[in-house]
Amino acid sequence: MSTVIPTISVARTAHLTRWNAALLARNRAALFYAVVMPLLPLGLMALGERGNPTGGANAVTTAFLVAGLFPVYYNVLSQFVGRRDELVLKRMRTGQTKDLELLVSIALPGAFCALLMCALALPIAAAFGQSLPVNPVIYALLAVLAVTMFTAFAYWTAAWTRSAEAAQLTSMPIIFLVSLGPLAITIPSLSEGLQNALSFTPGAAMADLLRSGWFGFDGAGATDPSLTFADTWSAAGGPLLVIVAWTAIAISLARRSMVWEPRS
Amino acid sequence: MTFHPSDESAVRVRGLRRTYGHGPTAYEAVRGVDLDVPAGSITALLGTNGAGKTSTLEVLEGLARATAGEVRVLGLDPVADRDAVRQRTGVLLQRSGFSGDLTVRETLRQWSGTLVSPRPVDEMLERLSLTGRADVRMLALSGGETRRVDLACTLMGNPELVILDEPTTGLDPESRRDVWRLVSDLRDGGATVLITTHYLDEAESLADRLEIMHAGRIVRSGTPTEIALGHPSTISFATVDGLPRDLPVRQIRQEHGRTVIEADDLQRALSALLSWADAQGARLDDLNAHSASLESVFLAIADERDPAAAAAAASNAAANADPSDTSLLEGAAR
Repeated sequence: MSTVIPTISVARTAHLTRWNAALLARNRAALFYAVVMPLLPLGLMALGERGNPTGGANAVTTAFLVAGLFPVYYNVLSQFVGRRDELVLKRMRTGQTKDLELLVSIALPGAFCALLMCALALPIAAAFGQSLPVNPVIYALLAVLAVTMFTAFAYWTAAWTRSAEAAQLTSMPIIFLVSLGPLAITIPSLSEGLQNALSFTPGAAMADLLRSGWFGFDGAGATDPSLTFADTWSAAGGPLLVIVAWTAIAISLARRSMVWEPRS
Repeated sequence: MTFHPSDESAVRVRGLRRTYGHGPTAYEAVRGVDLDVPAGSITALLGTNGAGKTSTLEVLEGLARATAGEVRVLGLDPVADRDAVRQRTGVLLQRSGFSGDLTVRETLRQWSGTLVSPRPVDEMLERLSLTGRADVRMLALSGGETRRVDLACTLMGNPELVILDEPTTGLDPESRRDVWRLVSDLRDGGATVLITTHYLDEAESLADRLEIMHAGRIVRSGTPTEIALGHPSTISFATVDGLPRDLPVRQIRQEHGRTVIEADDLQRALSALLSWADAQGARLDDLNAHSASLESVFLAIADERDPAAAAAAASNAAANADPSDTSLLEGAAR
């Protein structure tokens, strides 16, 4: 398969990305999901006590999940499947464009929206009285890793998605898997074993990284910032490994199950 | 025709095989194809439905790998030397699509940006008579107009080799003629064209060489005249009784209330038949006589009356559990 070849033309990928962004901008529903939707959870910080770190951590975690799931995961999935159905991808693959250039250019507009949300979260949080990230490197690393992971999940899901409409159903398992961890953390009666198991889900790992890396929380139940910049690195090791592992699994599955022709 | 045969082959295929699936359900669509497309020629690949034409083209286009055999396109391997081959070839698929929200001009600009050295967009609009439709969205175009945009993409990289899979299917007669002219112009400009088509008249009037596929193999190759050579002429009429057995013909058979005679020497057979009818006072209603044509050769292959086609089908039936391909031929009667 030509996707094995890692070299891509930056100019051609940038050119295709611009056109994919233009197409996204012409589709109002897709544009709403990609741009407006991820910003909404940040508004949660306006509720509750001003500057309360627990409220801030919940709002930022929700914003990250929504930014990963909508502009990246769901958007990339539906754009790819839609274009595959319309035989647009089949046509492109007869030309000089490489498979990897097509995949990256479809993912980049949504990735840009998600990263923009990550950047905007900083001044918005500050405006609501929240502190800035204890470890901005971990924050930036998480943003890039999460975008990569959700993109890989999207291309893997595309393998068993028959049409853009069917994506509403086929996207459910990943949305559930990702949302499970952060939601379950809020249930105090959960056994420790189950809590541990859930910490290996991608969403829980993202929440852990945000709580320790941005807010300096030490552990799942913490409500006060106690970690220093140096402490956050050791707290980040586990969850970072979890996210890298999920990303590697998703990329490997996506590569093995890539389908370029419409599924009938 | 301005075709001057060349020693070089733009496409050279030896022993190409392509199998779909694995194990007991595996199906071999291409079963040992040898094919040479001379540089500077228009070569038409003809065949019944499921003969393996598109499966063969996909390997030449670098979209699929061969299960076995050797494929050289412009002297290169279409998969290993992908970049070099793609810069010198233009492909038109049997069916392809475009983003409906882009206009014609935007679609061509989008395509243009993916090429290393594209022709200007305005030139392509002009060449495919699309200038007046440049600002119309793709989803508002007719089938013929969409096909012209598709062709504009195929030709925008100024390809040396153009592979066209059924370029005129679904087009109105005028658009078909336009495509024919375009294909001839490409050849006259020095390009090589490999084309598949449903229409035998198209192949006959456009192609310098024909390659007829059946059941995954090429069963006939040559110029249209060479292909008809050695094939019997046909005489047919509404069946009458008492036809003599000693007519100088190859075969006499009955089809749908008509008698069909195959003869190597049409004049001799016809004379003998008419003399007999005169002497008997018999009337041969709806009498029809014609020399071997591409259509009659094609029909013989499709019905497996042609020895090469029958041999190909028989060996496949032996090799595969599947029944051999006897599907209806594609529009041969059109």
